[in-house]
Amino acid sequence: MKKVWFTILTLVYLEHSMRVGSAPICAYGQAGCLLPSLAELFDRVIQHSSRMHGISSDLHSEFEQYFLPSKNLIGKRKCHTYGILTPDDKENAQRIGREQLTEVILRLLGAWGDPMSQFYQSMSEDQDQDFNHYSSNKALEVGDMVHELRDGVSKMAERMKLLGVLDNTVGFISPESFVPLSGISFYKRGELRSMDHHDLLSCFRRDSNKVKNYLQILKCTTLPGLDC
Amino acid sequence: MRTDLGLALLLLLSAAVESNSMSPPGKPVLLGCRSPEKETFTCWWEPGSDGGLPTTHRFLYERERLEGTHECPDYLTAGKNSCFFDKVHTSIWVDYYLTVVASNALGNATSDPFKIDVMEIVMPDAPGNISLRVMKREDNPYLHVRWESPQNTDTKSGWVTIKYELRFKQENSNEWKEYTSGTQTQFNLYSIEPEVTYVVQVRCRLDHSSWSEWSNSSSVKTFNYPQSEKPFWILLSSLSTVPFLTLCVLVMKRKYVKQCLLPPVPGPKIRGIDVHLLKGRPEDVNNALINNQTFPSVSAWKDESEEYLIVSDDVRLPDSYSSQKRKKSLTIAAGLLLDFETHCKELSLSQMDREKAEERKHEINNFANSNASLSGVGLFKKETLPEAADQTWSSCDPAESSVLSICGYVDIHRHKNTQEVDVNEVDYTRVKEVNGDKILILHKDRVHGCEDVQTREENIPEDYSRVEEVVGDYQLLLQRQSSSWEKSDRYTVFTNKKPRNPHETGACVTKVGPDLIVSEYVDTFPTPPLM
Repeated sequence: MKKVWFTILTLVYLEHSMRVGSAPICAYGQAGCLLPSLAELFDRVIQHSSRMHGISSDLHSEFEQYFLPSKNLIGKRKCHTYGILTPDDKENAQRIGREQLTEVILRLLGAWGDPMSQFYQSMSEDQDQDFNHYSSNKALEVGDMVHELRDGVSKMAERMKLLGVLDNTVGFISPESFVPLSGISFYKRGELRSMDHHDLLSCFRRDSNKVKNYLQILKCTTLPGLDC
Repeated sequence: MRTDLGLALLLLLSAAVESNSMSPPGKPVLLGCRSPEKETFTCWWEPGSDGGLPTTHRFLYERERLEGTHECPDYLTAGKNSCFFDKVHTSIWVDYYLTVVASNALGNATSDPFKIDVMEIVMPDAPGNISLRVMKREDNPYLHVRWESPQNTDTKSGWVTIKYELRFKQENSNEWKEYTSGTQTQFNLYSIEPEVTYVVQVRCRLDHSSWSEWSNSSSVKTFNYPQSEKPFWILLSSLSTVPFLTLCVLVMKRKYVKQCLLPPVPGPKIRGIDVHLLKGRPEDVNNALINNQTFPSVSAWKDESEEYLIVSDDVRLPDSYSSQKRKKSLTIAAGLLLDFETHCKELSLSQMDREKAEERKHEINNFANSNASLSGVGLFKKETLPEAADQTWSSCDPAESSVLSICGYVDIHRHKNTQEVDVNEVDYTRVKEVNGDKILILHKDRVHGCEDVQTREENIPEDYSRVEEVVGDYQLLLQRQSSSWEKSDRYTVFTNKKPRNPHETGACVTKVGPDLIVSEYVDTFPTPPLM
């Protein structure tokens, strides 16, 4: 009888303690706020990356619509992130493991922070081009998004390390070590500045898609649940 | 012969034609590629003319980060003129450069290069196994749709995220209504009509890829259920009560509303007069006008020495007066109605300003003299001296003989001294009647200031005496108003009568003639102390 009561009480206590309060959520664990769970962090990060990819697709398609009528273009393009080795299909992504996947994500995000911030500058300087207001707004926005997403993923990685899900081999990665020419200058091809921007946008679209997919795989391998 | 020649020609022509159809193949055209789940993809091409010879096509590709040119791994799985890339050969986020080469015995033809990235060519299959049912509920049945994700997509690993869209229409119409389902594989449609066949279709997409085709239709017919029209009536009644209520409020509070909307415009208001009384009876009108009227204060009078008109008989007048006070004479034309009330100020003198007074006197004199033709009573105006305490009335100038009727008031100002004049005690004397040559019947009103005319009627001072009888030449029998006719109350009035009290006055009727008609009260007035 006593045992039954004890178990009941323990269950009640556990249930009560696990209830989510209405305290504000904070990232640093300040006094008086609840830390978000890992699942919540994942959701936020994935949402953010999805949005970033959407904007990059829009930018690319608008660019192609206005400036480049023919769809299939000559010339093999090269992205400035070619030095970063990324898994190029599902099996490989699942095979390399969480730590490496996280590292790849962080590298990619680190490599794209500066170019996208400079992209808007470069766009507005070029008088030949006539980016409409809607696109220029997105161009401004996307520069910040890359930085924010990078910070978010870093925090998430820290949390995963704390939880023991991630090994400590993942460290802070400086983007310069893997990118030969950081920034937008990689894409300059002489006089044809519109070409530079086209390559930049298609490379960015691709890499943002990679980031999004990798994050989703990371989530489902770390926290298999309803969404996966 | 000719037929043979023709036949030979025909044969030659046909042979020539036939030999011309053999040519290198036409250029094939790559139609497009598609990946249904982002793990494999298929490409299709359109061959050109085959040139009459058996033509083979080869599908070649080059890939980013992969050396060399490769050929399609699978020509068969996807059908004719297609190339299927399985998972092993598929890489995402890399560019493929595709070409198709058609070749026959006579030559080759290469299509234009076609660049793809698998990420861009994703288009899932349509969802399948759609079930549409009518779910029964009390008054509100609804449609329930359920489906399955396309079979080849892998959502478990999180590689792709599927989003669904569905559309409904009634069988007869052509209008579709679209709804988004998110990642759910079921959907409920409420607010359906009875006895209608509904058709539903579903489609999906992977992340930001292209939408799939619409799935096969699934239809169901709803049964007949009593449709409640409650919402309609509820809405109607609630909408109609609102204006009704506002009308009620307006009617009930119409005064207030009227005040708000049409504020009353203030009308002119005369101070001291109650407008409502003016609308009533004449007596009330009088009351209204007179009662509340306040004349302007006569404080200014204090500073001025007042003129007074002395009607006197030289004989009767005490010598002291006549010698001291008389300075000028003032004749007033007969028949002149002087409204002394209004001319109080004009006739009053500023004791500080005797020159002005003299001017005025001159004026009046002149005026009076100009009317010398008129017979009238000469009135002597005497200037008051500061020490003068009382005034006397003197009778009229006996010079004239005609009847003069002067009905105005003559102001008498009584001064104790210059500063302290009880201005409230302004004695008006009304010349009631001039009878005969030398008689002025004076009625003296003791009026308090110029303001209080009304009090005359109300507060008839006890100094009013009614002339009861004229006895002899120099006697008037006066009767006190308040008392009855008693001889004991009679008293003879002489000009030299000593007052009973300082404020008691004596009547001064001088020169009573035979034709004296006394019909009114004769006021008594104080005898001057100098007497």
